[in-house]
Amino acid sequence: MAEHVILFAGPMGAGKTTAIESLSEIETIRTEATNTDRETADKDTTTVALDYGEITVGDDDKVRLYGVPGQRRFNFMWTILKERAVGLVLLVNNDAADPIRELDEFLEEFGELHEKGGIVVCVTRSDVAPTPYLDKYAERIREVMPGRMIPVFTADARNGDQMRTALMSLIANIEITAMIADNQERAA
Amino acid sequence: MTEQVSAQQVSAHKDPVVIAFANEVLDGFSDVCKSLRYATFLTDDGFEVASIAGDEKQNRRVASMASSMQALGDAVARDLRIGGAEYIIIAAETGYVIQMRVPEHAMVLAAHFDAAETVGKALSVARLAASNMRTMVQEKAA
Ligand SMILES: Nc1nc2c(ncn2[C@@H]2O[C@H](COP(=O)(O)OP(=O)(O)O)[C@@H](O)[C@H]2O)c(=O)[nH]1
Ligand SMILES: [Mg+2]
Repeated sequence: MAEHVILFAGPMGAGKTTAIESLSEIETIRTEATNTDRETADKDTTTVALDYGEITVGDDDKVRLYGVPGQRRFNFMWTILKERAVGLVLLVNNDAADPIRELDEFLEEFGELHEKGGIVVCVTRSDVAPTPYLDKYAERIREVMPGRMIPVFTADARNGDQMRTALMSLIANIEITAMIADNQERAA
Repeated sequence: MTEQVSAQQVSAHKDPVVIAFANEVLDGFSDVCKSLRYATFLTDDGFEVASIAGDEKQNRRVASMASSMQALGDAVARDLRIGGAEYIIIAAETGYVIQMRVPEHAMVLAAHFDAAETVGKALSVARLAASNMRTMVQEKAA
């Protein structure tokens, strides 16, 4: 396995910047700006271009981690970053106004990454808001993307171990996808 | 809730006074610089405060992109440890875009000039506009 580009997407305040910080082995690159939209997420800063971090997996496989801004007004960055990505960590904060709808919208925007490698969903901040439960997410995923294998985890973006578990399951899926593609190529 | 609202600052793009200032500065800006095609003030996090020319949708889009650019410029400058990014220039075939932060404020000016202008002149008028904006916002706060 060579280099992988993994995207972290999801609504503002889901924990994308925090997750990349927790995972990265290098000093992350951040593009935080003063947040003026406190109604959407009550935090001091928000990402306006990208987050970047790196993590080594296995012996020497470098995984590049890119976080996107959560707000739709930055969707030109979504397009730019999506191009190189082979996998998606979709973070949804359980305390969002309507988290299942956020799941829906981001799967619609980034769902194509499943075909390029894989998707994993992480539900964050479930300590803040215990519901909806995971089965609601799983159910919705089955409805929007039937027949796809998309694991759902609860995870705290601040917790490196939990984020690594989710990332590893995504990378396993990406490798399987690559292997299948390889075999098909050889068979053809 | 009976908390003091005045303590919490209204963000620039929702503050009618700041928007009025921004419009005033932009008017003066286009008066002194005929090669100015377009200009906008935006918050650091990409909300349009005021613009001259351009349609609404386009203005919003430019504000988002300028915000990303500004943050990327800052990130590069920070990584190279060369101090804060002073301005960013994109030189294209038929014109260029200059953007810079309003000094000491979480606000950015982005301006598009046609190629007839020299970079030096464009830079100096853009600096003046950004600094005028700073003065006005400062005086309001005082
Ligand atoms: N209580 C709690 N806080 C979390 C959890 N995951 C992330 N956070 C916090 O939620 C905020 C997420 O902000 P940020 O990473 O900027 O979100 P982004 O907009 O997706 O980049 C940060 O303050 C995190 O510390 C969680 O599982 N529980
Ligand atoms: Mg972020």
